[in-house]
Amino acid sequence: MFTKVELQKGVNLYIRKTEQFKTITMSIKWVAELDEKQAAYRAVLSNVLQDSNADYPKQSDLRKALDELYGTVFYMDAGKRGNSHIVSLNMECVNDEYLSTSGVFDEAMKMIRTIIFNPNFQDGTFDESIVNREKRTVIERIRSIYDDKGRYAHKRMLELMRPNDPASMSSSGTEKDVESITSATLLDTYKRMLDEDEIDIYVVGDIQETELAEKMKSMFGFTARDVTRKQYVQPATEVSETRQVFERQDMKQGKLQVGYSTPVSFFHPDYPKMQVTNGVLGGFAHSKLFMNVREKESMAYTVNSAYAAYYGIVYVMAGIDADLEEKAVKLIGEQIDAMQNGNITDLELDQTVALLTNSIRSAFDSARGQIEVYDQYKQLDEEFTADKWIAEWKAVSIEDVRQMASQIRLELIYLLSGREA
Amino acid sequence: MEKITFDNLQETLFHEKLDNGLNVYILPKRGFSKTYVTFTTKYGSIDRTFIPRGKKEFVTVPDGIAHFLEHKMFDKKEGDVFQKFGVLGASANAFTSFTRTSYLFSTTDNLYENTKVLLDFVQEPYFTEEKVEKEKGIIAQEITMYDDNPDWQNYFGTIQSLYKEYPVNIDIAGTVDTIQEITAEHLYECYETFYHPSNMTVFVIGAVDPDEMMNFIRDDQNSKDFSEPEEIRRKYPEEPLEASRKKTVLEMDVQRPKFNFGMKCSRTVMEGDEMLRQDLAVNLLLDILFGRTSEFYTKAYNDHLIDETYHYDFIFEKGYGFAMVESDTEKPSELEAAVRTTLKSLAENWTITEDDLNRARKRRIGQFMRSLNSIEFISNQFTQYNFNDMNLFDVVPTLENIQVAHLQDAFKTISNEDSHTVMTIIPGSKED
Repeated sequence: MFTKVELQKGVNLYIRKTEQFKTITMSIKWVAELDEKQAAYRAVLSNVLQDSNADYPKQSDLRKALDELYGTVFYMDAGKRGNSHIVSLNMECVNDEYLSTSGVFDEAMKMIRTIIFNPNFQDGTFDESIVNREKRTVIERIRSIYDDKGRYAHKRMLELMRPNDPASMSSSGTEKDVESITSATLLDTYKRMLDEDEIDIYVVGDIQETELAEKMKSMFGFTARDVTRKQYVQPATEVSETRQVFERQDMKQGKLQVGYSTPVSFFHPDYPKMQVTNGVLGGFAHSKLFMNVREKESMAYTVNSAYAAYYGIVYVMAGIDADLEEKAVKLIGEQIDAMQNGNITDLELDQTVALLTNSIRSAFDSARGQIEVYDQYKQLDEEFTADKWIAEWKAVSIEDVRQMASQIRLELIYLLSGREA
Repeated sequence: MEKITFDNLQETLFHEKLDNGLNVYILPKRGFSKTYVTFTTKYGSIDRTFIPRGKKEFVTVPDGIAHFLEHKMFDKKEGDVFQKFGVLGASANAFTSFTRTSYLFSTTDNLYENTKVLLDFVQEPYFTEEKVEKEKGIIAQEITMYDDNPDWQNYFGTIQSLYKEYPVNIDIAGTVDTIQEITAEHLYECYETFYHPSNMTVFVIGAVDPDEMMNFIRDDQNSKDFSEPEEIRRKYPEEPLEASRKKTVLEMDVQRPKFNFGMKCSRTVMEGDEMLRQDLAVNLLLDILFGRTSEFYTKAYNDHLIDETYHYDFIFEKGYGFAMVESDTEKPSELEAAVRTTLKSLAENWTITEDDLNRARKRRIGQFMRSLNSIEFISNQFTQYNFNDMNLFDVVPTLENIQVAHLQDAFKTISNEDSHTVMTIIPGSKED
């Protein structure tokens, strides 16, 4: 679905020409191995690069220039996937065709070149005051998770299940590592990112493919780099016993997280079967959890399951009255038992495959969706298309789902609830 | 069927008002594989005092009923409607706002079968006391979830501090107590009053053939019996100019304080072009005053008064409107002073120039073009505008005609200090 052009060894451009959108969307991804310290450095670096550059040393001037380009969107962020840390530069501008002007995309490209290659250096390094300000911003981002009870409960579950592991590492690193950053740290991180990271560049929109590839080659002076792509597979987890952890905050509702491990992770041949299995359990509004915990028992407004494929974790999340924790855990267990006993109807399976199909096709109705879905699945197949993957789901049988469900192991019951409960 | 073409946007909109009064809009989008269909009634949480269909006297119904009704629409004698959509590969949902209740699905397959499911389940009410009772547990959990969400508390608390009388100050879902009063009879009464086709709109967007779809919906509606359209009589209280409270502080289990500065809009009785112009003018004004290019933002960010959570917004509907400037902050009182100073100095000395306006205008035009990539945005925004007699596709020409003088007018509608409020959530225990 994307045309691939190797700009340099380890630097690839993926282009998708389409008239579907009124904008041109670009995403540049720097991929490196996930390391907690480096995550902190890279998170702050992406904020600092986003703030200003040599042409626009003040953030407000950069933002004014973007406004002049018809509100061209530009932001950077840091994320993780498996044991990779990914810094992304994202841009979206209106296609000239819809404007009473021309050259918006060209101007935006020039700006991006400056952002990457000509940072806002003072005496050969990053401005200390900007670095300090953005350190604070990232620390506040890390701390803010506490205020979002659902996210906090999820974070705690991962920390308890997989301590000191990519599964529980934050893509912004730790507060302590962020604190330790100096301009010199960032300069080193910047150089390594620019010279050593694997780089994927995506462009989606109504553009001429060859023209764009030539332009990118001449404008962006990325150097060749050695990149060895390793498939990350979570080490197998021995579950000897199920742990229960209850923690308290001042809150009314209970946030329940039930964590299971599965030997099937993203690169496993059974990955599509496990996706369907999660869908039958709790991915949708027809799924077992929704029908039995929410609709039949009226116990929850939110109850669903998710599959953290890279880390071999399936987890159930529910917002419940904390007094009903035991009952909820029992009901959730019964849904898993039912699946392990092959108690799955053709209807449930068909609905799940139909909705997985709908979700991947729908994701392709946005440029960002096309980029993110392809970027993930291309690790399995560079020739990935939605149709190919849908065929994989359609081939999944009830027996496959039963087998997948039989391999999952209950590892942790975590409840975050009010102090008086 | 009327066909409306917007050459500059390369979009064509099809519209027909059916015999039963239902408005149907269809917008085909090239290259899209999904179709998004919404069925919306002009009925939300603020419609709590009205004359029920067939009656003569005003009644006031329990708070949270529009939202409760939305939940119960999915529960039929033969089972849950989600199951039907699931078999047909559609992802279905619904939402209730202050002014609207919307039922929707998106699908890449079985478009007509799914459309039929949507039209039928919304037009065939089925409520029993037993089912109503059972739903109370689920909705109580939904309400408690919002109780624990500091961002929602900060947002909604600000609205409550701004509005003394107007029912936007009542939580859309009601409270755990008010929903206990709801009966099946209430639901039927509200349904009969507000779900007549003449009070509703269908919007179809994405992969769709307009002629076929219009025929399909028309045939479906012609095959069903509806009573004659009647004018709906709603009653809303008068809202004073002043904010209900000047300052509200709420303690919650949070790490950092959350700040919100609310500005109640003084001019909201309008519709159509005039309303669209004021809506866009206030938005442009906020961009210039509080956007990332503003002096306010630069200083507040450098001085550590705001962080990544910072944002501002303007909500505007017939009858109410408010602007908000929000952020997590360690220094709520300094942030408050900075916002107040920004407003005050503009009131004393108008500094916004033609250049400022032109730049903000370009940004908004680009943002609008970008949002036309999203069929969900078009559908929801079009319907909201439509219920206020505005046309979404007039946004660009209206933006192009806005003058600095319009911004001055817009500023006057939100700059009165008496209409301002400050909401802060501070770390602490709710129980204390």
